[in-house]
Amino acid sequence: MLSLTKKRISKIVALVFLLLMVFIWIVPVLYTMITSFKSEADIQTNAFTILPINWVIGNYQDVLFGNTSAPVAKWFMNSLIISVSQTILVLVIVSLAGYGYSRMKFKGRDAIFVFLMATMMFPAVVNLIPLYKIIDTLGWVNNYLAAIVPGAAGVFNIFLIRQFMQGIPKEFDESARVDGASDFQIFIKLILPLIRPVLTVVALFTFTASWNDFLWPSIVFNDVEKMPITPGLQLLQGMYALDVAHALTGALVAIVPTFILYLFTQKYFMESLSLSSGVKG
Amino acid sequence: MINTGVNKELTMSAGIEKHSGKNRFNLSPYLYIGPHLILFAIFFLFPTLYGIYISFTNWDLIGDPEFVGFVNYKEILVNQDSTFYDQLRTGLGNTFKFVLFTVPACIIVPLLLAAGLNTKPKGMKFFQALFYMPTLFSVSAVMIIFSMLYSVSFGPFNHYLNVETNWIATQPYAWITLVTVTVWWTIGANMIIYQAALNGISKDLYEAAAMDGANSVQRFFRITLPSIRAQILYTVVITTIAQFNVYGQPLMLTKGGPTSSTTVLLMYIQENAFGSGISIAGIGAAMAVILGLCIMAVSAIQFFFLRQRD
Repeated sequence: MLSLTKKRISKIVALVFLLLMVFIWIVPVLYTMITSFKSEADIQTNAFTILPINWVIGNYQDVLFGNTSAPVAKWFMNSLIISVSQTILVLVIVSLAGYGYSRMKFKGRDAIFVFLMATMMFPAVVNLIPLYKIIDTLGWVNNYLAAIVPGAAGVFNIFLIRQFMQGIPKEFDESARVDGASDFQIFIKLILPLIRPVLTVVALFTFTASWNDFLWPSIVFNDVEKMPITPGLQLLQGMYALDVAHALTGALVAIVPTFILYLFTQKYFMESLSLSSGVKG
Repeated sequence: MINTGVNKELTMSAGIEKHSGKNRFNLSPYLYIGPHLILFAIFFLFPTLYGIYISFTNWDLIGDPEFVGFVNYKEILVNQDSTFYDQLRTGLGNTFKFVLFTVPACIIVPLLLAAGLNTKPKGMKFFQALFYMPTLFSVSAVMIIFSMLYSVSFGPFNHYLNVETNWIATQPYAWITLVTVTVWWTIGANMIIYQAALNGISKDLYEAAAMDGANSVQRFFRITLPSIRAQILYTVVITTIAQFNVYGQPLMLTKGGPTSSTTVLLMYIQENAFGSGISIAGIGAAMAVILGLCIMAVSAIQFFFLRQRD
């Protein structure tokens, strides 16, 4: 048995370490939140008071609606449209494919699946330039579709969903089939409700990845009005390089959706990581 | 183009199915996997192959690519007078530096956090949530926050440390800044993976070791680390691949400076293909292929090396 005092000492060491880390992790977030409520005058004269002397919401009005070369409210809506659409598209495409690879019998099924898995090793950077050409050929430059559709070509989510479906006993399908259900009915009525947890995970990850994507949208959007918020912030940074309060307000607006999503769905984010690493590890 | 390829394969397999005579060809599986396969072919497979092809062309992103053999590769790998040769050297060198600096930190820091959280302190749920949270923020938002924190004149960092360090525009501080920001931003996922792994280690192992007189350091290296080898391997490979694709942090925080000492290869690739001047997509593509090969080679070596010791 580990002696009790030794256990207690290691617990205390761990706690001190964690509290130090908590400080490092929380300060940038609090600093951003608090500064976004400081007025520019406040910052000029009393730069380093911890709390604002006067709490103002003017920064939010200015950043969201006040600047036509950095239309943050518009960017926010663009991002919302893109991320929600991509999430829906991915859910449909991926659950169909997962069902195909897990539940249906056809020639070459396993060969195709293994091939798809193998392509995950290809570094994505190689397809960056040609992908732009494809988007251009389709006429999708500065179009939401450029940021929505290519993301649905990914393979990892299919792997995840197939893995989850394999855990559902095949007897379920068979008894439904005996009752006269078609493949599609089995998919919609039986399988989809059972894979809800993994679909939630896919949805959350797709949404946040889409919302946070930086390099790709900064290539396919050059029209300021059409841009999503993540590449937009690069323009905003240039505009407010010396204006702390406005720059931080812009950054904060951009992280609010994923932050709120996280508050309500933390459990799923945590579970999913052990899910995806567990099967791979 | 690729589409018809897929369809051909489908009709072929349909033929085989018919000949075997077991049952009639059933189209319906392809209605399920088809939509994804089509998107996969158009937006992943074809551009990847085409990306390799155009690295052998003098493409400018607009006209038709003209095959030029190894000219681009010679230009960036051998021609010492070329700016692209310098770009590759600088960009790839800085990318490797970034990987070398960040990967160990992005393994060790979350491992320590997970070990700390494994003592189940009060407030554990809150700690865990907080450390994971930045992972959900975009690179551009995080870089704006840190560029203000580290700012010379109005950054709280300098103010409270009572120094006047130019964190972003002088070395070695620019590297230190990039590494700390990256650790702050990205360790969440690895931490959760380690937490799950540590949770799975049997308590009996530790008690037996303690009875044999092993101290806590010995227990860590003899029991803890070997027990979570699989997860460490997984995170090392995944983290390395992610860090090779570094782009947003130096672009927005250090602007590649001071004097291109933090300009990474992806910045040059982006600039050559999509920058303000005439596009030199062929050169960009050749650089991308080289970066891709580096990523594959390094992950293969890691995989081999870490698996070997079983």
